[in-house]
Amino acid sequence: MTEVVRFENVGLRYGLGPEVLQDITFGLEAGSFHFLVGPSGAGKSSLLRLMYLAHRQTRGLISLFGQDTIELPREKLTNIRRRIGVMFQDFRLLPHLSAFDNVALPLRVAGVRESEIKRHVEELLVWVALENHMDVRPPTMSGGQQQRVAIARAVISRPKILYADEPTGNVDSRIAARLMHLFEELNKLGTTVVIATHNESIVNEFGRPVLKIDSGRLETISKVQLKEKTSKSKLNITTDLGDQSEVS
Amino acid sequence: MRFNRYNLAIEKDDTNRFLPWLIAFMALLAALSVAGLLMLKQISSVFEYNSQDSMTVQIPAAENPKFDEQNTIKVLMALKKAEGVINTTRVSNAEIKKLLQPWLGDAAGSEVLPLPQIIDVKIDRESNLTAEKLTNLLIKIVPGIKVDDHSIWLNNLVDTLQSAEFIALGVVLLITLATIGTVVFTTRTGMGIHRQTIEVLHFVGAQDEFIARQFAARAFIVGLQGGFGGILLAIPILYAFEYILKNFDSGLLPKADLNISIWIGVSFVIPVVAIIAMMTARSTVIKTLKKMV
Repeated sequence: MTEVVRFENVGLRYGLGPEVLQDITFGLEAGSFHFLVGPSGAGKSSLLRLMYLAHRQTRGLISLFGQDTIELPREKLTNIRRRIGVMFQDFRLLPHLSAFDNVALPLRVAGVRESEIKRHVEELLVWVALENHMDVRPPTMSGGQQQRVAIARAVISRPKILYADEPTGNVDSRIAARLMHLFEELNKLGTTVVIATHNESIVNEFGRPVLKIDSGRLETISKVQLKEKTSKSKLNITTDLGDQSEVS
Repeated sequence: MRFNRYNLAIEKDDTNRFLPWLIAFMALLAALSVAGLLMLKQISSVFEYNSQDSMTVQIPAAENPKFDEQNTIKVLMALKKAEGVINTTRVSNAEIKKLLQPWLGDAAGSEVLPLPQIIDVKIDRESNLTAEKLTNLLIKIVPGIKVDDHSIWLNNLVDTLQSAEFIALGVVLLITLATIGTVVFTTRTGMGIHRQTIEVLHFVGAQDEFIARQFAARAFIVGLQGGFGGILLAIPILYAFEYILKNFDSGLLPKADLNISIWIGVSFVIPVVAIIAMMTARSTVIKTLKKMV
């Protein structure tokens, strides 16, 4: 299988501060599903930001879809971003746009025709049970509704990779389970999924490979879970310690 | 379903509250400068025209007024035969009285006042005809006759007016720079306000041009609003200025009025301001975004 994400000895520091990520080395194969776990301040969000190109690494190599991101000019990064869906922890919905327009945003920036946008967005909003809230703006929606809009926006353009930062953080366990099944469905359709979470019960329940980060280092992966529960998952990870695990 | 034209709510920014007023003020100054520039051009072109190929022959009043007409006819005949003279125009007594009015007041209209006869002579500057040669020719016909070549002092006046034109042009350029600076500042402020939204647009795959277009479109509208506002403020000021000029009868300066070309020039301030604002906003956004990932 081809790798869609590859990090080689990646380091990140903000300004002149200390490195918040050190010697991160791993690869994600197309169609894989991973949890990214670690304590607060460990560097989960920083790692995600590198993965969805919100930041440039200070050192090392990041390759997305087989392309070295450092070598790519800004205009080319747009094409990569269009193949990545991101669901932010704080949703980052545009408050002045309706739910419909928020979800339609990735298609509009890609220049998709309005008739197609209307069809796809309405279909997706029905899927996330927001068909009666299409014209509602995020500030008047509940946290759960905003979250569903954020998910719909992240997946509307059928991304090859989906990153979700604490997607179950603001919802009850029933909706959390529903969301996780939604991510699994997307994964079955071929989307590579990475979910950053604190929720250990979800990690244990779904038994997917885990990227564990602590103090800026990718320390370990849960090999036990990998062996027991992810027989169909594809993972090729090299930790910073040089320990390589391969499961297929 | 209606699509919100702006993915960024730029129109609700605080920066957009005062920017139209600032641009209106700039447009007002620009409109006044452009009007002044065009008026100066109008005046200097009149002088330039007069200085280019004309001389004035002044025939002193005869002791007996009945000889005035005879002398004038003799001079006109001589001028027609002179080499380098293209044509002649006799200035009527009524016009001469009008010209003298600023200096003599009501006495200029008196019938007993001896008036010189004046002939405007259009000459070919390519010929060797000079005021001195013409004087030498005509003094034989009417002793005491004077020929004035306006080109010397009119050229000095034209130079002065052209310097004033350059100053007005410089003021227009300074206003343009100030407008650009204002738009750059407010665009950067707007980008700071909408930083998170811009980040989201980037993450969903928006090109820099997509984001820049929204700032540029807003700047264009604000430029149009400010431009219209500035011109509306300039109209009464220009009319007042014209009124003062018309009533300031120096007898030296030709009349300058707000003709159609001046109004066209002034009205061009609106689209020019809008386009400058649009282009400045666009380039500012593109440059700023290049510093982002």
